[in-house]
Amino acid sequence: MTMTAPDPVAPDPKVDRALTRRRWLGRLRGGSAGRPIWRQPIAVVALTILGGWLLVAILAPLVAPYDPLAQSADTYAAPSAAHWFGTDSLGRDIFSRVVHGARLSIPLALAIVSLALLVGGLLGLVAGYLGRFADEALMRLTDLVFAFPQIILAMAVTAAFGPNTRNAVLALVIVSWPVYARVIRSAVLSMRGDDYLSAARLLGVGPVRALRRDVLPNSIGPAIVLATLELGNAVLLLAALSFLGLGPRPPAAEWGSMVALGSQDLSMWWVSVFPGLAILTVVMAFNVLGDALRDRLDPRYAKGR
Amino acid sequence: MSVSPRRLRAGALALATLAIISTTACTAGGSGGNANGGEAKTLTVNTSFVLKTLDPGRVYEATGLTAVHALYDTLLTFEGSDVGTPVPALAESYEASPDAKTFTFKLRSGVTFSDGSLLTADDVVFSLNRLKNIKGSPAVTVSELSVSKTDDSTVVVTSATPNPNVPVVLAMPSTGVLNAEVARDNGAKDGADAAQGDTAQQYLDTNSIGSGPYVLKSYEPESQVVLEANPNYWGDKPQFERVVLRNMDVQTQKLTMQRAESAEISLDISGKLLDGLPESLQTSGVQDTVYFLFLNADPAVSDVTANPKFNQALRAAIDYQGIAALYGEGAAPGAGLVAPAFPGTLPESEASTRDVAKAKALLAEAELTNPTVKFNYPAITYKGVDLGTVATKVQGDAAEAGITLELNPQPLTTFLDEMRGGKSPLGFTPQSLNYPVADSLINNMAPGQATALRSGWTVERADPAVVAAGEKVTETLDLAARATAMQEWQRLMNQSSPYIVLASNSSTVVATADLTGADYSAAGWQVDVAAVGRR
Repeated sequence: MTMTAPDPVAPDPKVDRALTRRRWLGRLRGGSAGRPIWRQPIAVVALTILGGWLLVAILAPLVAPYDPLAQSADTYAAPSAAHWFGTDSLGRDIFSRVVHGARLSIPLALAIVSLALLVGGLLGLVAGYLGRFADEALMRLTDLVFAFPQIILAMAVTAAFGPNTRNAVLALVIVSWPVYARVIRSAVLSMRGDDYLSAARLLGVGPVRALRRDVLPNSIGPAIVLATLELGNAVLLLAALSFLGLGPRPPAAEWGSMVALGSQDLSMWWVSVFPGLAILTVVMAFNVLGDALRDRLDPRYAKGR
Repeated sequence: MSVSPRRLRAGALALATLAIISTTACTAGGSGGNANGGEAKTLTVNTSFVLKTLDPGRVYEATGLTAVHALYDTLLTFEGSDVGTPVPALAESYEASPDAKTFTFKLRSGVTFSDGSLLTADDVVFSLNRLKNIKGSPAVTVSELSVSKTDDSTVVVTSATPNPNVPVVLAMPSTGVLNAEVARDNGAKDGADAAQGDTAQQYLDTNSIGSGPYVLKSYEPESQVVLEANPNYWGDKPQFERVVLRNMDVQTQKLTMQRAESAEISLDISGKLLDGLPESLQTSGVQDTVYFLFLNADPAVSDVTANPKFNQALRAAIDYQGIAALYGEGAAPGAGLVAPAFPGTLPESEASTRDVAKAKALLAEAELTNPTVKFNYPAITYKGVDLGTVATKVQGDAAEAGITLELNPQPLTTFLDEMRGGKSPLGFTPQSLNYPVADSLINNMAPGQATALRSGWTVERADPAVVAAGEKVTETLDLAARATAMQEWQRLMNQSSPYIVLASNSSTVVATADLTGADYSAAGWQVDVAAVGRR
């Protein structure tokens, strides 16, 4: 058996995929068709917003004019020069709390998505590569998780373990790993019979090395796109959990719980609107960025345009 | 596939979050408003339903009490917002024996049930015996009472122990008098074994067989309860032909009342939610709920909270005025355990005050540096106030005195389990009375009593003066003297008990301007719908 050379006129999709190994990184720079991601205005806006939030999170103590936990007698003050976003029922500065909230929401979302990607990715690789029983068992497990709406399952898990930051993250990892497992599994499945893998096996390459050197690099692209899209979802789910009192414990400045506090009295609109806008911008930015990435990285989208 | 469903879902969730923050705009466009438009004879009462049954022998929930009070008459009742002096209803007069054990009621003559048949002493005896013997939730109030008739218009109620509050108990909606004959025909029992044999609840949920100003027209426990004027009512006919109790969440109640023009009442808008209501609406509120902290007195649970110096320091650290402000209109800083609505409350001039320097000195005296305690509270909104906000305020106040409280919001059931198990080192809870007699506080919260033991407060750990003051209240039979003894007990409780009263808060009836008699009552029924009229 010999490896087939690529036919530039009518490419065999399987062979093509084999030979585009690691090309997804190249695509990011605009390798095949279309503009690179940083030439797309909307993606640039998203990247700028996220960069801004990242900076705010890192420099929070310098950016925030007040201690986010300090209470004062100046309760329910409307937005003004002294309090840009106003104050809440306990006289805490909402601008400072929103700024410090970035330190919770963004790293936690990153943690949730990376953990879910790690767990889901590993299980997906194993399921796809080994097939048979391992595949059946793992896919039925994902079915089980998919059977519940994400937020309901996450609420059940947090309520069972006790509401705090660690358990909220754990719950969101539990509800979100199956998507990655599915995506990676199907990528692995589609390349399982590929000639270059058979060739590698004939050359005596073991399964662990094959997974690491050949399978993973070719299947991780779509999962990375998905992870970027899911980052927004993670911010949102985390906010929803803390809105329901199942997230980081008070008095932590978490955007979801700040929205919840404000929703009790909507005539003081600033209490919930500003943390709500923070959630909105981060979620939208992650979604737009994820879309742009997918357009670049997923061959189905890249070739369709 | 050009649009990923996952992305759509994420987008939808983002929009949902925005929707939460702009609910005003969204719901204002929805349905609502006064459903009775042209029907001038209908009174609409909006409330978030807490409703399990309309059987007087079993009713224990707020919405049920409002309806049952309008359907069934009791021997005595309360007028308006007063809960201190029972006034005649079915009984035109009563006499109490000096030992406060025997109460003789003279029944009004010519009272008929809604079906036209005559109400007699037999009906009263049957109804009270049934209440006691079916052992439903409200039976605790009459468990020590027995009832008999001497003739067709005289009923004698005897209490096993001296109890000057029997007349108050007999004004509670659960003591409402049923038509015994009809009740028996539909499975009601009053014997000692009635707990097993009584099958009348289903019938009584959908039919009323009382002598009250209204009769039950329809019962839909999820959406609405409709009452119609009783054509055979023995007293003055109520002004409204129909009363509709509508199930409605509190935010919608607020929006509805903002646009209501006439004959509409809401029962759950209280605290901060009252802000922003139109000036034209009238409100009637009574401070009937107290909110307090409980510290565990058992060193095995926490040697910090069990330390009397820490107890004193935390008392001094709290900004009671500031906490009352969090509750909004109609709240007051904590004085004693008895809410201002009830006899025996402490005057507002005795409200607790803040002294951070004293708190710090007490901590130094006890050699407690940065004491740290886990602070449990139920993650709920109660009467328009988020308990988490109050807990966070307490935490901030304590921090200024050098006390670290670790906030631990819990689902209500978890909180109650931990409290009942006596495991909470420090907790925070609201308390309302089930009937307007403060004595039950002593039965529960005095050293060694059930609730006190949950905070590890045994008689051995308590100041003997508190124990004695509690006993004095129970022994005092004259109601005025009893109220004074109650105040003395609370003053001593404020010095060393595990309870720190933060504030008291009102329940409020909000009504359109055209109504009269829409007074909040702390007697259980919230508002006497039959007393509501038009200007």
